[in-house]
Amino acid sequence: MNAAVTQTGNTLNCQVAVIGSGMAGMAAAIFAANRGLSVVQVGKPSEISFSSGCLDLFSTIPGETLRSFDNPFEGIDVLTAEQPCHPYAKVSRDEIVQGFEEFTAFMNAAGIRYHCTPQSNQKIVTPAGTLKSSWCVPSAMYAGTRALAEKKRILIVDIRGLKGFGARQMAQNLKAAHPCMGSITVEFPGREKSGDLMCERLTWDLEAPDVLKRFIKVLRPHVAGYDAIGLPAILGIYRFEELRTKMEKALGTTVFEIPTLAPSVTGLRTKEAYIGHLGNTSVRHFPVSVKDIQTGKNGGFCFEVTEGFQNFEVNAERMILATGRFLGKGLGVNDTGAIREMLFDLPVVQTGHRSQWFDRDFFNKKGHAVNRAGLETDVVFRPLGRDKKPFAEGLYAAGSVLAHQDWKREKSGAGISIVSAYKAVAHLAETL
Amino acid sequence: MLVIGGGATGTGVARDLALRGIDCILIDQKDINSGASGANHGLLHSGARYVFKDGEAAAECHRENQLLKRLAPHCIEDTGGLFVAVEKDDDDYVARFPELCRKFGIPVADLTPEAARQIEPCLAKDLKAAFAVQDAVIDPFMLSLDNAADAMANGATVLRNVRLTGFDTDNGKILAARVEHRRTGKPFTISAGQFVNATGAWANSVATMAGANISMSYSKGSLLITQTRINERVINRLRPASDADILVPGGTVSIIGTTSLEIDNLDDIRPTTAEVDAIIREGADMVPELARARYIRAYAGVRPLVRDLAGTSGSGGRSISRNYTLKTHSEDNIENLVTITGGKLTTFRLMAQKAADIVAKRMGNTKPCLTDKEHLPASAKGEWTEPGKSPRVWMSNPERRDTLICECEMVSEYMVDEIVRSLKDEGAQPTLEEIGRRSRIGKGPCQGTFCSFRLAAYLYRKGELIDDQGMDQVRDFVNGRWKGFRPLVRDRELMRVELQESFLCALFGMEED
Ligand SMILES: Cc1cc2nc3c(=O)[nH]c(=O)nc-3n(C[C@H](O)[C@H](O)[C@H](O)COP(=O)(O)OP(=O)(O)OC[C@H]3O[C@@H](n4cnc5c(N)ncnc54)[C@H](O)[C@@H]3O)c2cc1C
Ligand SMILES: Cc1cc2nc3c(=O)[nH]c(=O)nc-3n(C[C@H](O)[C@H](O)[C@H](O)COP(=O)(O)OP(=O)(O)OC[C@H]3O[C@@H](n4cnc5c(N)ncnc54)[C@H](O)[C@@H]3O)c2cc1C
Repeated sequence: MNAAVTQTGNTLNCQVAVIGSGMAGMAAAIFAANRGLSVVQVGKPSEISFSSGCLDLFSTIPGETLRSFDNPFEGIDVLTAEQPCHPYAKVSRDEIVQGFEEFTAFMNAAGIRYHCTPQSNQKIVTPAGTLKSSWCVPSAMYAGTRALAEKKRILIVDIRGLKGFGARQMAQNLKAAHPCMGSITVEFPGREKSGDLMCERLTWDLEAPDVLKRFIKVLRPHVAGYDAIGLPAILGIYRFEELRTKMEKALGTTVFEIPTLAPSVTGLRTKEAYIGHLGNTSVRHFPVSVKDIQTGKNGGFCFEVTEGFQNFEVNAERMILATGRFLGKGLGVNDTGAIREMLFDLPVVQTGHRSQWFDRDFFNKKGHAVNRAGLETDVVFRPLGRDKKPFAEGLYAAGSVLAHQDWKREKSGAGISIVSAYKAVAHLAETL
Repeated sequence: MLVIGGGATGTGVARDLALRGIDCILIDQKDINSGASGANHGLLHSGARYVFKDGEAAAECHRENQLLKRLAPHCIEDTGGLFVAVEKDDDDYVARFPELCRKFGIPVADLTPEAARQIEPCLAKDLKAAFAVQDAVIDPFMLSLDNAADAMANGATVLRNVRLTGFDTDNGKILAARVEHRRTGKPFTISAGQFVNATGAWANSVATMAGANISMSYSKGSLLITQTRINERVINRLRPASDADILVPGGTVSIIGTTSLEIDNLDDIRPTTAEVDAIIREGADMVPELARARYIRAYAGVRPLVRDLAGTSGSGGRSISRNYTLKTHSEDNIENLVTITGGKLTTFRLMAQKAADIVAKRMGNTKPCLTDKEHLPASAKGEWTEPGKSPRVWMSNPERRDTLICECEMVSEYMVDEIVRSLKDEGAQPTLEEIGRRSRIGKGPCQGTFCSFRLAAYLYRKGELIDDQGMDQVRDFVNGRWKGFRPLVRDRELMRVELQESFLCALFGMEED
C-alpha cells in the first residue's frame, strides 16, 4: 500500500512535498511516509545541527513573571486558555502524545533512544551550568538527569582547547542546588598540541578504538570518589550508545553527556540518523533549497530541484511548508520593512514597526514581539490567504514558521514542530 | 590634587599635572573613557569643519592636530581627509570653503571630483566639489589609556569605579570629595588642595555638588559601524552641519555619523532605530554603498553644550575660544575648583593644559606644561583595543598552543591572560565588561553571541569567576552589545539574533532568574 515517488524522464511525481528539513520537515516527512504516502523532501538539514537533541514540548509561559510547569500538559492547558491563537490550541492532548510517539519510534528505529516521563519534564545540565527542562531526552543526557535527581557525586570534565564548554563554570553554577559536584580539565589524547579543538573532530577521533582507550586512561585517575561523569557530547556520531557503555564499564561510573554549542554533535546525530534511515522509507530527499513554486491547475504544486548535474521537476498533490523562521529562511523582510514569507508571499502576522520588534532588555521575561510573527492558519494548519480562507486547499504549514508562539521562551521548539506536522499530515492523508 | 572624570580631558589633566611634579588622584565613576571619550567619532579634526562657524576653534584644532601627530603618533592613523559636495549641496557654501580655510590657516587643496573618486571610489557619482585636508583618525581608547598610564608612571593614582557623590566644603573652600565605590557601594572621602572637574556632560552635576551652577544642555549623537572598511581617508560632507556628514575609517571598519538630538537626561543614552534610518539615508547621498552596507554596531555619545558662555569670560577664567568652557568658579566664590568641559577630543590636550595652568598656579607650582613637548609614551594598556592587532599577534605565533575565544576579532586565551593580569595590577576585577573594554572581544560581527559565553567559561576555569557570578556578567555583557545592535536589526540581522536567543534562552534559559 506504500506509494512510491514515480519518475518519468526528469519529472518526479509525489503525493506530498515537504519543504524544509528541520525538526518540522523531518516530522512531516516521517508522518507522511508512515501513512503510505509518497514524499519528496527538500531543504538543508543544517539548522537542526544546532539543536541540543532534546525534544521540548512545553515548560514556560513568558510574561512579567515566568510561569514554569513541571507537567507540560498542565502548562499547555493554561497557555491555550489564555492564548487561543497559539498553535497548541489547535491540537488535542491525544494528538500531541501520538505525534511524539510516532516521531520517537522512528528515531528509535534510526538509533536514537529517548526517555520520557509522560506527566513531567526532565532536567538536563547545560553548558551554562543551568538546568534545562525538556520532555523527551536522549539516553546519553538522561543518565545525567538521573544522576542529578539521585544526588549522585558528579564530576564534570572539560577538555583543554574546547571552548565554550567549561566544567568549572557548570560545577560552580550548579553547586548551590547540587553540592557534590567536581570539575576537571583534561587533555584530549593526540590533540595535546593543538590550540583550537572542535567537538565534531574529537567525536570522529573517538570512533577509533585506541583513542577511546587512551581517553579512558586520561580520565581514570580522576574518577575516584564519583558516581557519575559528565562529558561534552562527543561520544560518537553513530556508535554513541556503544561508546558510552564501554566507558561506563571501563570507569565503573555512570557516564553522561552535556550538549555543546554549535555545531553540536547531538544535532548532527539526529540529522545523520534521520537521513540514514530515510532509505527505508518512501521519502526522496534533496538537500537543496527551492526558489520558485508554481501552483498547478488541479490544486497541485510544481517546483524544480537539482541533484548533482541533474534537474528534476517535482509535481506534488499536497505541500507542507516547514521552512522555519529567519534562521531557516522561511521568513524574511520585504522592501517596506515588513516581515514576509519567502516562498508564496503568504500573509504574515506582523508585530509592528521594527523599532517594536525587540525589547531593550535582551532577556526581558515577556520575550520579544517579533518572535510571535508568522503564519496564521486554520485548525488543520493550512496558512490563510488575505481573504482569511486557506491560501490553497493542499498547502499546510508546520513548525516555527507559525505565528502566535515563542518557542525559545516557551521551550516548545520540537513540540510545535512535531505536533503541527502531525495534525497537518493527518488531515492531508484523509484528503488523498 | 583630585581630578574628577577619566575621559580624554581628565586623563590629560592628570598627565599634565603629574609631569609638573604635582601629586594627583584621578577618579572615574566607571572606567577610563566611559563617557563621550569612549563614544565619539575618533576624528582628529584638521579644523576645516569649523571654518564657517568659529575660525578660532578651527585654528586651535589645526595646531593640536599637528602637535598630536608628532607627539602621539601611535594613537593616530594619518589618513588625510576629504571635504566633498554632491549635486544637491549649496554652491555658495562650497565656494566660501577654501577661502575661509586659507583665512584661518587651515591647509586645504583643491581636487577635481574625478580625482576624488579615483582615490575614494566609494564616493557618489554626482560629486561636484572636493578638497583635501589634514584630517586623521585617532584611537580615543589608546589615547586616554596612555595618558593615564603616563600619569601613573609619574606618580599619579587612578581609581576606577569611584563616583563623586558630594563635597565637604567650608566657607568657599572644598576640603574633601565624598566618593563611593560603584561595585561595593562603600563610601569614603578624598582630601585634596585643588579639584578639577573634567566630567564632560556631567560637569553641572559635579559643579552643583560644590554649590555652583553651569547652565548646560545636552546633544546626543549616534554613530554606526560598518562591518568592513569602506574608505581610506576621512570623508566629510561639505554643507552646514547635519546628520551623517562624516565617514571615518578605522582599522577594519568605517564609522558613519552623527545625529544631533537635544536630550535632557543623561541616564539612558542609546541609539534609536529612527536615528539609524536617518544616518543611513543621509550618509548614502555621499557614499551610496552605505545604503546596502552591513552594520555591526550603533552607539551614542553626548556632547555637553554650555549655555552661559558669558560667564566663562569672567576675569581669570576666560576661555580663549568658544570651543570649550573653562570655569574658575571665582564668580561662585569657590576658591579651589576648576571646571573644564565641552570642546573636542582633538583639543583635549590644550584644554587639559589650560585647566592645569590654573590649578598649578594656585598651588604655587610654576613648572611649565610639558605635554606640548614630550612624546606620549605607548603603554601596553590599550594594546588589545587596536583593531587588527589581535589577529596579527595570533597569526604570527602559530607555534603557541593558544585557543581563540573570540573568533571574529581573534582574541585568544593568551591575550585574555595578559588583560586579566593588567587589570589585576590596577586593583580591578577582571569582569567580562572590563575585559571587553580592554579588548576587541564581542566587537566583531557576532557581537558576543559566542565569545561572551566562552570568555566566562575560560574565566571560571582560571578561577577568576566563582558561584553564579558569570551568569550575571554574561547577561550584562550581552545586553551591553544588544544596546548597540538592536536598532540595527533590519533583515539579515534577524538570523543572528534568532541564533543567539536560541542558545541563551531556548537552551540555557538565561532569561530565568
Ligand atoms: C541553537 C538551537 C538550539 C535548539 N535547541 C532545542 C532544544 O533543546 N529542544 C528543542 O525542542 N528544540 C530546540 N531547537 C529548535 C528546533 O531544533 C527547531 O529549530 C525548531 O523546532 C523549529 O524547527 P523548524 O523545522 O520549524 O525550522 P528550522 O529548523 O529552521 O528548519 C527550516 C528548514 O527549512 C529549510 N528551508 C527554508 N527555506 C527553504 C527553501 N526555500 N527551500 C528548501 N528548504 C528551505 C531550511 O533549509 C531548513 O531545513 C533549537 C534550535 C536552535 C537554533
Ligand atoms: C557623538 C560624538 C562624536 C564626537 N566626535 C568627535 C570627533 O570625531 N572628534 C573630536 O575631536 N571630538 C569629537 N567629539 C567630542 C569629544 O568626544 C569630547 O569632546 C571629548 O571626548 C570630551 O572628553 P571629556 O573627558 O571632557 O568628557 P568625557 O569623555 O565625557 O568624560 C567625562 C567622564 O567623567 C566621568 N564622570 C561623570 N560624573 C562623574 C562623577 N560624579 N564621579 C566620577 N566620574 C564622573 C564619566 O564617567 C566620564 O568618563 C564627539 C562627541 C560626541 C558626543
